[in-house]
Amino acid sequence: MDFLQLAVNALALGAAYALVALGFVLILNATAAVNFAQGDLVAAGGFLAVALAGILPVPGLLLLPLVAVLMAAVGLAVCAVAYWPLRDRPPVAVFISTIALGIILQNGLNGLFGAEPRAAPPLSGSGHLEIGGLVVARQSLAIMVVAALLIVGLRSLLWHTQLGRRLRATGQDREVAAALGIPVGAMVALTFALAAALAGAAGLLLANQFFITPTHGTDFIVKAYIAVVIGGWGRVGGALAGAMLVALFETVVAALADYAVATGLLYGALLAILVLRPQGLFGEAEGRRA
Amino acid sequence: MTAILHMRTWLVRDLNILLLAGAAVLVAWPFVADDAYALRLFTQAGIYALAALGYQFVFGHAGALSLAQGAFFGLGAYIAGILSVRFGAGFELTLPAAAIGAATLAALIALPVLRLRSHYFALATLGIGQVILLIAINWESVTGGANGIPNVPALSLFGGTVGRGWPMLVLVWSLVVAGALCARLLTGGLSGAALQLMREQPMAAEASGIDIGRIRFAALLLSALYGGAAGALQVHTVRVVSPEVLEFQVMVMLLAITVIGGRTSIAGAIVGAVLLIHLPEWFRPLERYYLMAYGAVLLAMVVAAPWGLMGAMRRARLHWLPEAPPPPPSAGPLPARHPPARLEIADLTRQFGGVRAVDGIDLAVAPGESVGVIGANGSGKTTLLNMIAGAETPDSGQILWAGGDIAGLPAYRIQRAGIARSFQMSKLVEEMSVLDNVAAAAWREFGGPDQGDARRAAMGLLDLLELAETAWRPCGALPPGLRRRVEIARALVGGPALLLLDEPAAGLTAGERERLAGTLAALNAAGTTLVVVDHDLGFLEKFAARLICLDQGRIIADGPPAVVRRDPGVVAAWLGQAPAKEAGHG
Repeated sequence: MDFLQLAVNALALGAAYALVALGFVLILNATAAVNFAQGDLVAAGGFLAVALAGILPVPGLLLLPLVAVLMAAVGLAVCAVAYWPLRDRPPVAVFISTIALGIILQNGLNGLFGAEPRAAPPLSGSGHLEIGGLVVARQSLAIMVVAALLIVGLRSLLWHTQLGRRLRATGQDREVAAALGIPVGAMVALTFALAAALAGAAGLLLANQFFITPTHGTDFIVKAYIAVVIGGWGRVGGALAGAMLVALFETVVAALADYAVATGLLYGALLAILVLRPQGLFGEAEGRRA
Repeated sequence: MTAILHMRTWLVRDLNILLLAGAAVLVAWPFVADDAYALRLFTQAGIYALAALGYQFVFGHAGALSLAQGAFFGLGAYIAGILSVRFGAGFELTLPAAAIGAATLAALIALPVLRLRSHYFALATLGIGQVILLIAINWESVTGGANGIPNVPALSLFGGTVGRGWPMLVLVWSLVVAGALCARLLTGGLSGAALQLMREQPMAAEASGIDIGRIRFAALLLSALYGGAAGALQVHTVRVVSPEVLEFQVMVMLLAITVIGGRTSIAGAIVGAVLLIHLPEWFRPLERYYLMAYGAVLLAMVVAAPWGLMGAMRRARLHWLPEAPPPPPSAGPLPARHPPARLEIADLTRQFGGVRAVDGIDLAVAPGESVGVIGANGSGKTTLLNMIAGAETPDSGQILWAGGDIAGLPAYRIQRAGIARSFQMSKLVEEMSVLDNVAAAAWREFGGPDQGDARRAAMGLLDLLELAETAWRPCGALPPGLRRRVEIARALVGGPALLLLDEPAAGLTAGERERLAGTLAALNAAGTTLVVVDHDLGFLEKFAARLICLDQGRIIADGPPAVVRRDPGVVAAWLGQAPAKEAGHG
């Protein structure tokens, strides 16, 4: 396959992974805890899109806001059940509670939809476009554009609004934020809602090209986790770069060697980074609390 | 011999009635439901109990969230499966090969992975599991690829065949019992207390001579040994080995068993395994959703009872049938003191960012001396103490003690060389009794599961520090004055020649300070060298014959208290413009 072609595929996959990793980092920064159910939220978003498409025969692009809103509600539930009761315990408690939540989500999806792979509708139609001799799937292009818009939107929310400043303050130091009168509980809940909405969006984007099964969630969380460690624990920009790197291994390296070798190499690279540069390629975020 | 005696006490006295009743039900149950399927489930429960007992070493006792236990289990299964199918090896060979194979993997990954902090450790161990799974799927010539290896022969032991049903069940549960007894010897009693100290107050554990790195290594190795052995049993029970044994589900199952049963309770691992293996049977009416219920139980447990079923039972028992505390043990002899030595610090420097917290300090303390260290906040007092005690590494300089340079040595080695310390913020295990907080620090000397000798030694120190009344009270319930004294009692466990105390009088009432000063004077008179950081000159003067004042990481005055407190530099740097007060709090 043409190298450029591969690069486009890597970029599309990386963009979707970036959304997953971003949600992971948001929660990490707000709570110092790992949300291990983040991957299962992606699967849930994918199946939600599948289910909605059965009721509303419209393009994926129109389903996207609906999926995001419904998933945000799921995120609030995740916060209420698996995080809030454990907020004063060591972070490992949340790690385990979200593993449990992942089991519930996975088997709930399995019960509702069965184990067969399912596909969500494309964002704006299938088929290919030819751009300067390069054949690009419309879906790949749409994924990149939608993911980029979401990331830019999230960035401006975090950096250019009062709400964003409050969210970031909560992530940096919860005690100080509370002392400044910021409603910390509401900010954390909102973070979970945002993270779940991002996961839902990623689910919708991925569930068209790559299909989706209830057990896919474990793959997604492992990739997001790796992306965040590679990019630097708690670093938003690093998570995006890490997601791209993971996607690069899965597409380009997999095409050059094979999928198993590429995955092995990815883990090898991860372990090497953990041993030689545990702060990640770009360093851990300032004021991290984990 | 003492181990056997100890075991008997444990079996007869410490296990409560409920537990024995539960065990009786468990033993009786396969007789009642004597069909092949029931026996098979019960065998399976034993296998998972063994793997979970192993997982408790690393997750429960060492407190590290390892996600590699499933990988050790699966690797053991593959090793045993391949050896028995390809080479016709018997269980007498496949069991040790599986256990040692898994432990070898653990030893290989331990070096890079064990020093990682919790979330990195979790991911790294998860990654190792994924790599092993990948190898199992892709190395087809050896592992049979995605289909695995079918037709694993029945378990043969020294030529005889151990068939399905009762024979296999008895074999599995004999190994569970053996594994439980080993775990009890390794983690019970005093060892359990020391491990709890290590989990909850790692700095205090290191300062008590406990080498945390070594213990975490041993814990990971033990978890792999148990996991690998359980894997070998698994493959002979299900008679096929496939990548399924390496999937994340197995790891989640072991985690759930341990969390639900109790992270450090041996009975918890067994009860948890029996429950979780049978849970799907009980939830069968839920049909396709029964596995959801299993996640819900785990979640409910983490939220409502993080101490697990066994912990919950213990709490309930203590609540409804409170036990009167036993009489305190008789006081044993005080620990033998290390030979007195001279501390000599040369050009010691430590920088944080651009700030020189300690800036080229030279200091000699003669054996038997009693030195007070004063200075404003941020003048480098605690950093100096931390470097002597090994909690921080100097950038440059020497710390000579008993004929060697101890600068940069880990804290546990410095403690073993006869230098003990207390902490500015007291580091005690809150729910553990005063007596056991002190006894846990004597683990290295008394070892093993038996608490008697260590408690008697601790009692001697509690007497010395007038803490005998509080022996059985949990540390969390003590006022600050008593907590300081417990910290000092603990520091004295190793018989230090030099005692470093960091603000021992902070937060104490005037009366408590008076008593503490008297205790320190007595300790010093008995031969212990003291270096005490504090803000209260009046307190220091009661036992210190020499005062040192630090300012911006340097010594600006050194001499008898009466001279130092009038030193113009000291007055300017520390006491400010006001004349010297008796209890100057700065």
